[in-house]
This record gives sequence, C-alpha cells and structure tokens, in this order.
Amino acid sequence: MDRGHKASRTLEITILSAENLTLDRKSVKKNAYVIARIDPINYGSTKADFEGGCNPSWNEKLTLDMPFQTSFVTLEVKCKTGSGERVVGMASLPISDISGDYTPESYLHFLSYRLRDSRGEKNGIINVSARVKVQVESMSPAVTKNPMRNGCSSSWQQPTLGVPAGHQKNYYGGVVTGVPIWS
Amino acid sequence: MGNCFSDVAGGRAAVGGSAAAASAAAGNDAVDHFLKSRGLYGSQIELSFSATNMRDRDVLSKSDPMLVGYTKGRDGTLTEAFRTEVVLNSLNPTWIAKHTITFQFEVVQTLVFHAYDVDTQFHNIDVKMLKLEEQQFLGEASCVLSEVVTRPSRSLTLDLVYREDPTIPGNPRRCGQLIVHAEECISSKTTTEMVLKCSNLEQKDLFSRSDPFLLISKIVEAGLPIPVCKTEVLKNDNHPIWKPVFLSIQQVGSKENPLMIECFNFNSSGKHDLIGKVQKSLAELEKLHSSGEGVHLFLPTTVGHSYQNKVLKSQIFVENFSQSSRHTFLDYLTGGCELNFMVAIDFTASNGNPRLPDSLHYLDPSGRLNAYQRAIIEVGEVLQFYDSDKRFPAWGFGARPIDGPVSHCFNLNGSNNHCEVDGVQGIMIAYTSALYNVSLAGPTLFGPVISNAALIASQSLANGGRKYFVLLIITDGVVTDLQETKDAIVKASDLPLSILIVGVGGADFKEMEILDADKGDRLESSTGRVASRDIVQFIPLRDVQSGEISVVQELLAELPTQFLSYMRSRNIQPNI
Repeated sequence: MDRGHKASRTLEITILSAENLTLDRKSVKKNAYVIARIDPINYGSTKADFEGGCNPSWNEKLTLDMPFQTSFVTLEVKCKTGSGERVVGMASLPISDISGDYTPESYLHFLSYRLRDSRGEKNGIINVSARVKVQVESMSPAVTKNPMRNGCSSSWQQPTLGVPAGHQKNYYGGVVTGVPIWS
Repeated sequence: MGNCFSDVAGGRAAVGGSAAAASAAAGNDAVDHFLKSRGLYGSQIELSFSATNMRDRDVLSKSDPMLVGYTKGRDGTLTEAFRTEVVLNSLNPTWIAKHTITFQFEVVQTLVFHAYDVDTQFHNIDVKMLKLEEQQFLGEASCVLSEVVTRPSRSLTLDLVYREDPTIPGNPRRCGQLIVHAEECISSKTTTEMVLKCSNLEQKDLFSRSDPFLLISKIVEAGLPIPVCKTEVLKNDNHPIWKPVFLSIQQVGSKENPLMIECFNFNSSGKHDLIGKVQKSLAELEKLHSSGEGVHLFLPTTVGHSYQNKVLKSQIFVENFSQSSRHTFLDYLTGGCELNFMVAIDFTASNGNPRLPDSLHYLDPSGRLNAYQRAIIEVGEVLQFYDSDKRFPAWGFGARPIDGPVSHCFNLNGSNNHCEVDGVQGIMIAYTSALYNVSLAGPTLFGPVISNAALIASQSLANGGRKYFVLLIITDGVVTDLQETKDAIVKASDLPLSILIVGVGGADFKEMEILDADKGDRLESSTGRVASRDIVQFIPLRDVQSGEISVVQELLAELPTQFLSYMRSRNIQPNI
C-alpha cells in the first residue's frame, strides 16, 4: 500500500430544527442554539433562535474536519436564560449512521435523535441533515468490494446452477467502488 | 369556546401549511379524507386526443369521427365521461375538446374510448343529444390513466380495434390508432406562500397576553368550513407574526374561493378561545398584501334575537405573499422516477394449516382468493404500472424451508440467489408454490425483511438509480421483534423506501398501529435515533369498506406524500 497518499474527511452537518424542548420541566421560550462537537476543540455552533420557542428552527450548515477515528458527533442543545447558558439536552450522532453502509459517498442523510437532559431523561428531538465528504490528495485505483447478493440466502429448493435468464434489476448487490481510506 | 385541534406538539405546532408540511406535500388528514370521498383529491389531468388511419365509413367522403370516453368501474360497468366534437371529413382527426380527470394514484383508473362516424344528418345536433346506436362504430381502445402519465412524453398510442360481430370470437381488426396525451393542470402545481400577522389582538388570558394561532379553512358546500392548515402558537403576543403558511390552489379550489381565517387563543385544555375571524379569498389576500392594508377581524355576536358580526379593533395583515410552481408527483413519474414494488408474506404457523379451510393461507379449489392473495392483487395491480420492467422482489418469512432452519426472509421463488418474480401473477404463482414447499413455523419477525428491502434501496442509490421502493408486508399476527422492527424502520426512513403493512385475520394489531406513525409518536430506535419521516402505513384488511374509499385506497393514498417528502427534502429534481 502506498502510504504517501493521504485522505481527509469533512463533515457537513445542517442543524435543521428541534421539537418539544423543555428546561426544568417547562417549555423553552426562546434563544435555543446548538453546538455540534467532534472533540473539545473541534466544534461549530448555530445562532440562537429568538422566535421558535420550544420548536426552534435554525437551518444552519456547519462544516467540521472529521478525523478518521471519529466514532460520533455530539449534538448539544443549549439555551440562553436570565441565569446564563444552560444545557437543554444532548444526543450522539454515530458516524456509522452517515458513512460505511451502501448509500453513496456524500449521500445527504436526514436524521433525527432523541435528546436527553442532564438527568438522562427524554427531552425533545433534534433534526439534522449530514454528509461526509472525503478528499484524497492523489488518485489511486478504485477498490472493488465483493458483490453481495440481495436475495435471501434461504430457499425452499435445491440451488440451481447457471445465471438466471432475463433482465434483472441490480439486486445482486452490485459492485460498490470507492476510494480507499487509511487511518 | 373553540374546538379541539388534535395535532403534534400538544397543539402548538403548525399543521398542514407549514414549510415542513409544504415540503412533504402533506395536508390535513380530515381535508384529504373529505376530498377523497368526493373524488376531488389528486392532481387534475387534462386529456387531449387525436387519431390516425381511422376506418373510412363514408362512400363519397371520409369519416366524421367523434370520440366518446368512459370510465370503467371495478365491476366492469362503463360510465360515460365525455364526448368530443365531430371532426368533419377526416381519418386523422385532432379533437379540440379536452377532458379533465382527477388522477388518483391509489386507484386503477381504466379508461375506455369508443370512436364513431357521425352521420351527416346529425352534424347540426349537439353531440350530447346524439344517440350512439344511430352512428357507425369505428373502433375502441382502452388504457389505464397511470399508463399515460408515467410516459416521458405523457402520450400513449393505442390500437383502435373493431369486431364485425362481437358475438363471434376471433381476433379483432385493427382500424387505426388513438393517441391520448395528458397534461397536469397548472393549478395542481401552484403553491402560495403567505406570512400573516395581526395587530392589537384582544387579550383573552386573564393575567397575560394571548397565545394566538390561525386556523385557515376552505369553505365548501353551503358554507361548511374544512380546515386546511393551522399556524404555530405564539406565546404572549398581541402583535403576532407567524411563520409562512403554504397553500396549493388544489387545496383551496381556486384563488377566488373564500377562505375562513380564524384567530384563536390557545388553551392547553383544547378548548381554544376565538379572538376573531375574517373571510377572504387568496386573490383578496394578495390585494391586501399589495396595498399594505389590513382588514379588521370580526366576532359573531348576538344582539337580542339576531346574530351580528362585531367588528373588532384587531386587524390582520398579509406581510408576504408569493406564488410558485413546484414539481409534483406526476412530474417525477414523467421524469423517469419509478416506484418499485416488493412484497413479504407471513408464513408463520399462526396462519393455520394451509390445507384446512379455516387457514388464512387456504387455497380454495373454487378459485376464491384468500386474504393474502387479495392483498397482493389489490396493491400490486396499482403499483405495477409505476415499474417499467415489472419484476418484483418477493419474500416469505417465518417458515422452515426444506431441510433447513426457520427463515425470516426467504425468496418466494425458491431461488438461492435472486428474489425477483415476473409481475403480480409471478408473485401469486410463487406464493402458491411456496405454500406447498415450506413448513409454517415462527416467530413473526419483520426486522430481517425490512433490512433486506432497505439494503436494496441503499444499493439502488449507490448505483445512481432514480427509484423509490414500496415494501408490502402481509401478516396475520403480532410482531415478535417489535424493537428490532422499529430499529429497522428508523434506519430505513433515511432511504427511498415506504412500507405498507396489511393485517389479515382477527388478531390484535395494536403493535402494528404503533409502527404506523399516523396513529402514534415518531418511532425511536434502541439507540435514540428517531425516524426522520413517516414511512409506514398499516391497514387491517378486515375493515369494512367505508363509502367510496376501499381499504387498499387508504393504504396507498399516503405514498405520493411519502415519495415527495423524500425527493423534495433532498432536492432531487425530475428529469423534465
């Protein structure tokens, strides 16, 4: 493997909205905002929503560098109150939800997560969209993964030989090609 | 006191006309049901007609053709829908008259066309007065409306056929071609965006300002108001400015149709106080926006024995008003998107021995269909028209194949390496064959088939496909892996996939209703991820037919909404 080639990943996450936010068992009135954090020094923040109350809407896009060892992004909903900034709730966005499955690279995922307050109790829902972008400094041959059949492996008769006749949709798993990723 | 409004977020969130709802092409369920029951739901399609190489029935001149169109009911009866004008002396007519029909996705809309040569002596008579038996029959053709609207050109060419003697079997003669062209009416595509605000609202709460919201209703049939949308609730605000509301012309009928706009003070008890109201059409609201003027709200009141409208100090203004066209479901179909049908059938032992008459899988020698067969046919016969090659993945679950363990996802066709069958009949044949070759077992698990369908959908994305998948699950029992099923559905909600669940037999389907987000909260996975959109629809097949809307119609009606929700949220454009 040519270790001279380097790749990096970028997380594009749009903080869309939240639902049913409460603080001290009362509906949040205003000034909710979100911090998306990969690590203590790698994060982005939305502006405060002054009008949305307990159902704020931000629609703000944040772009974060995302190391390959990153396993999740923390979404922290906060609120500016008369007594200072307070945490409304938090959720974790696993990177596996937006990368590593059969969806295309850079597929825009629309995701929602349950927020938990500082006591671990349910506290509303946060809605985001996110995609991972991979940049490679130089080109390398594409790696072909093993094709995977989508038909179930079970059947009620003996396996047949040969290739089925007729036009087939691409349900045999297809061939997923991509750029190799090094850690 | 006001009425209770059942909706999300304890009644405080916008319903129907919000940006999210507009994005999802969603409407008020009550409105949708009302319009559907009266055949008013769905896009309006304008059909135009022409023909080539028609039969020449005249001796000294060419035929004078007229086209008569019929809709064909499920029982085969023909109902006349329109007649064109008579085109004189032509074997290749282009009729000027158009026919407008409501496209209903969830119904197979069969159209039958009869062409006649109108005798010269009747040329000065209104075509509506013509007796068809006195005219020369030129030929007939038929098609399904969805066959026309899914064509890239939105035109379908049909052979006109003719039998000298309909009582004698044999191949009919071809006698020309009929071309049917469809265009979606502009009104179906037009959306109005408005920002409404009020000033000096009366204070309804005892110790604070009002918590106002607007309810917009369409006025139909002798003044009956049908809610179309509702704004969000604003807290402690006597001068509210609500978020934009989105209304389609299709929702309100026309720009000139009157709308009732009611301003309520929100009460958590559900009994909201009417602050005031006004009745205006979209056209009038547009004028208000242009002029910058407001209109005073009024409040119905009684003076003595008569009702009067008390004009209030409060006013409503149109802060913003704009109109735009959006891509519709039919645009996507024309632009090459397909709906791919998939089916998964419950083969668990709770269905009963298939050889016994009381089994849900019993194959009646007389040919009468069992519940599973009926569900397959009724759903499949609609969805097949939206798939170009009509090859459908078909699975069973909960059975023990020959010499194997229980399988919770096996190919219905018996193959080890592919799951597709040809057409709806292919599903029926594979289903029957499987019944004779597997042992019913258990438990009832949905997770594996949902995950497999999701895998197909995600791989389609990877291959650049423009497909949206519809998985039909037919089951008799209570699901065993409820949490795993929820997890699979939550994950699938990010993919181009919808899931239809049909319940057969007499079991308790409460857990199915949990999966159907229409009747419950948003689904949540075991890891805290929440479904990003509603992709599940559940219907128990035992429900009686309700008026004009069948069970299957209810099952399929949400599909265009779910499809559009997916497409628009990802800004996927049709190839037009």
